[in-house]
Amino acid sequence: MMKRFSWLLIALLALGLLAAQCNSTPAPTEAPAQAEPTKAPAQAEPTEAPAKEEAPAPAATEKFRVALVLPSPITDMAWGESIYDSLVRLQDELGGESAMEIVYSEGMFNVTDAAAAIRDYAANGYDLVIAHGTQYGTSLFEIAPDFPDTSFAWGTATDTGADQGLTNVFAYEARAEQGGFVNGVLAANLTKSNVVGVVGPVEAGDAKLYIDGFVAGAKYANPDITVNVSYTGSFGDTSLAAEAANTHIQAGADVLTGSAQQVVGAIGVAKEKGVLWMGTQADQSSLAADIVVATQYYDWTPTLRDMMEKHNAGTMGGEVYSLTLENGGLQMRFSDGLDADALAAAKQAEADIIAGKLDPFNPGEMSASDTGTDMSATDALDYTFDPVRVAIVMPSTTTDLAWSQSLYDSLKQIQDVVGEDKLEIAYSENMFNVTDAAAAIRDYAAEGYNLVIAHGAQYGTSLFEIAPDFPDTSFAWGTTTNTGADEGVTNVFAYEPRAEQGGYVSGVLAAHLTKSGIIGVVGPVNAGDAKLHIDGFLAGVKAVDPNIQVNVSFTGSFGDTSLAAEAANTHIQAGADVLTGSAQQVVGAIGVAKDKGIPWLGIQSDQSPLAPSTVVATDLYDWRATLLEMIKLNQAGEPGGKVLQLTLANGGQTMIYADNLPADAVAAAKQAEADIISGKITIPIE
Amino acid sequence: MNEGLSLTAILVGIIHSGIRLATPYLYAAIGETFGQRSGVLNLGVEGIILMGAYAGFYVVFQTGNLFFGVLAAAVMGGALGLAMAFVSITLQAEQGISGIGLFMFGLGASSLLFKTTLGTVEGVSGFPELNGCLSGLGIQSDFCAGNIPIVGQIFFGYNLMVYAAFALVPVAWWVLNKTTWGLNIRSVGQNPQAADTLGISVARVRYATVTLGGVLAGIAGASLSIALLNIFQENMTNGMGFIAVALVYFGSWTPFGVLAGALLFSLINALQLWVQVLGLNIPSDMAVMLPYLLTIIVLAVPFKRSLQPAALSKPFERGEN
Repeated sequence: MMKRFSWLLIALLALGLLAAQCNSTPAPTEAPAQAEPTKAPAQAEPTEAPAKEEAPAPAATEKFRVALVLPSPITDMAWGESIYDSLVRLQDELGGESAMEIVYSEGMFNVTDAAAAIRDYAANGYDLVIAHGTQYGTSLFEIAPDFPDTSFAWGTATDTGADQGLTNVFAYEARAEQGGFVNGVLAANLTKSNVVGVVGPVEAGDAKLYIDGFVAGAKYANPDITVNVSYTGSFGDTSLAAEAANTHIQAGADVLTGSAQQVVGAIGVAKEKGVLWMGTQADQSSLAADIVVATQYYDWTPTLRDMMEKHNAGTMGGEVYSLTLENGGLQMRFSDGLDADALAAAKQAEADIIAGKLDPFNPGEMSASDTGTDMSATDALDYTFDPVRVAIVMPSTTTDLAWSQSLYDSLKQIQDVVGEDKLEIAYSENMFNVTDAAAAIRDYAAEGYNLVIAHGAQYGTSLFEIAPDFPDTSFAWGTTTNTGADEGVTNVFAYEPRAEQGGYVSGVLAAHLTKSGIIGVVGPVNAGDAKLHIDGFLAGVKAVDPNIQVNVSFTGSFGDTSLAAEAANTHIQAGADVLTGSAQQVVGAIGVAKDKGIPWLGIQSDQSPLAPSTVVATDLYDWRATLLEMIKLNQAGEPGGKVLQLTLANGGQTMIYADNLPADAVAAAKQAEADIISGKITIPIE
Repeated sequence: MNEGLSLTAILVGIIHSGIRLATPYLYAAIGETFGQRSGVLNLGVEGIILMGAYAGFYVVFQTGNLFFGVLAAAVMGGALGLAMAFVSITLQAEQGISGIGLFMFGLGASSLLFKTTLGTVEGVSGFPELNGCLSGLGIQSDFCAGNIPIVGQIFFGYNLMVYAAFALVPVAWWVLNKTTWGLNIRSVGQNPQAADTLGISVARVRYATVTLGGVLAGIAGASLSIALLNIFQENMTNGMGFIAVALVYFGSWTPFGVLAGALLFSLINALQLWVQVLGLNIPSDMAVMLPYLLTIIVLAVPFKRSLQPAALSKPFERGEN
């Protein structure tokens, strides 16, 4: 009687499997089904053809035609809106649509799409093509030489490509630190709690300038002020920005600022909580007129007008433009009814910057604080390789905020640079069952993937059985130092994060942060990189103060979030006032640390978005160099046999410190970093 | 190593941790008890918990309203319970297999929803801890019941979902043993043919219990995502649903048995954490093994095994026998 319904069972199972496997990100390459990874059809996101927005009419000779390519929408209340509004104003000034034509492609966060749009606009005879995003530079420099009669503009940048022989590129930047400084002075004068929060997007470009200036201005006006800076890691993640704002408010901030289109989320929170907001880029007061008290407004009109005039006079490029307070590219707008003293202080700072009396980066006694590590350190990577297909088999998920995400994020970053046509990514998540993982590994190899990464120590035995059957495929396996050379396997790379290095630095930092003299470690299983991390951590703590007690507990699982949370609770009850731990389980522990106000030291992935004021330091795994080396060795005919390690010295591990850490603790940690890199410190491993 | 901590403080700490850890197991296992007492084995609890955790989290994330969150988790759980009921009762499918199918569906669908709607692990402010402070009642006083040594420390300091889970146990016992519906459930699970001849609709009773089980499993998920952890992460339950099913066997299909099992399992889990934190010289692997080891030992003891519903996991077809 049951057989009648077996087809329904099969249907249900198939549905379950389907759902289980559909959970890849909307990237064009999908995770294959675990049993048979049929290559998903390359469902590339529909490239927004620039032709769609183009006016079809051929240009009259005098009509100036401008095309704008931008990563966000023209209504983003930030970066994109500021330049679009300036273009429209210029159009009105010149006599409307008959004198000047404006077309645009918005939402071009994908650089490949943007490059296509830029090329199409140039080919269609536009006079000025504006690539309104730092990320478009590489593509632009490839396109510009093909259209010598077209002017291109690129920002934020100061590089017109002149040293590469380019003559038709204008570069532009906003000296956002100037208005940032003024906002900082105003914020310091308005705050009552003496705590100010910054909701940053990514630590780069004009956002970094703005925030550095803001911090400097706040400290200039009041050296004792606390400026908590958090980055969401995204320009458009409004909900995360809202959460960041919430966190800042919970941490006591009563004035907030931030940049990029994400801030609409933060402004919403600020409005709800009655906290003041300082804007930058575009005028955000329409969103919440009561609380947006000051805005650094970008006015691109003079810059754009000058570019057009130069173009008409036969100069296609070569000029670098800066928006400043002095030249009117940056304008401070203050709301009515501000405290008179605060307003006076801000206006004084503005006047001093214009007069050249005040340098935002060196304003006097108080210097601009160093906001975090310079992330460009590892960006000297060489991304040149032939098209390659990479598959990852991982025990958890690409969003685990730990082991699997760290590798996936790095691979994705490489793809963002080289494009999807050069690097195809496929992955299988949640392969906690080794038999399933082995099937997936074999299928990827059979499918012709060039590099198949078995991202878990448990996959080794299976891998050594599979690898000899696919001699042209490179396999990678970690955490391990065994490439299988003893067993005659030649096409396996072994990789290992030397987690004891970052662990040691975290240990030094923790020893400086603890007041109770007790530190808790929420470990998963005493093996692999978790063991290395903990061994290094213990050594680091003991090096500072042998009397500090480090309580180590293991949950026995990588994914048991609720047990990890309880482990964190237990540590706190046992007196710990600094916590660390590894694997994807730690999100539970971080939640507890956040509730109890205990600092957390992260490892593997950047966990700070979850609890920006709690995650005070991170040993971030950066796999890019390792991945690039494996890809290049594979293409040079060396499919394996090499052990690759992620160290502080080779940039495979990067320490990120929060801004609210005591200076002496950070200094000690940075010293430990330097000593490990120089080899002065060697870390004993049990 | 921790000379500074009194034995009392440690014991209170263990009990506190144990009670918190037991909460999601209680919801899920009590719900599963209803289903199994009526003769339906639902192995898909894990998937329902995940979906409930997601639904509750997402609603709170969007609206900030905790009770809407619990409601969403309950509705989601109920819908999945209903689906399980349809497959196992109306279609009379093999319950073990359809349960696994439901688990995989829940795992995959919650991940998919997480990635499309959230994308990254987020936090919400969940149910607050209740410390029994008079100031919370508008009375001008520093008195907090949670500060009373030992008794106050053990009974206060949890969120509402924890108290509700423990309150559920006597309610479930009463429903199963003291109401007509409870009698119907038990008779349907023991002897569906006899129940049927007495005019009890076997299908209707089983539909109700399996859907109720789904509702409670959904709430178990909410207790994780908006009360205990206040985050949602893919596969955050990590096998919790299967342990809940085991706890039903462990507890001999009675709510108080389930309570004993959940508390035992959770207290030993809390104990092993403390053993490690205190630096007692026991290998961590041993400590981690403790709860499971004990579970096996207790299960091996032939303790009221006869209570297993006779018709468990057997589909009922009228007039078959």
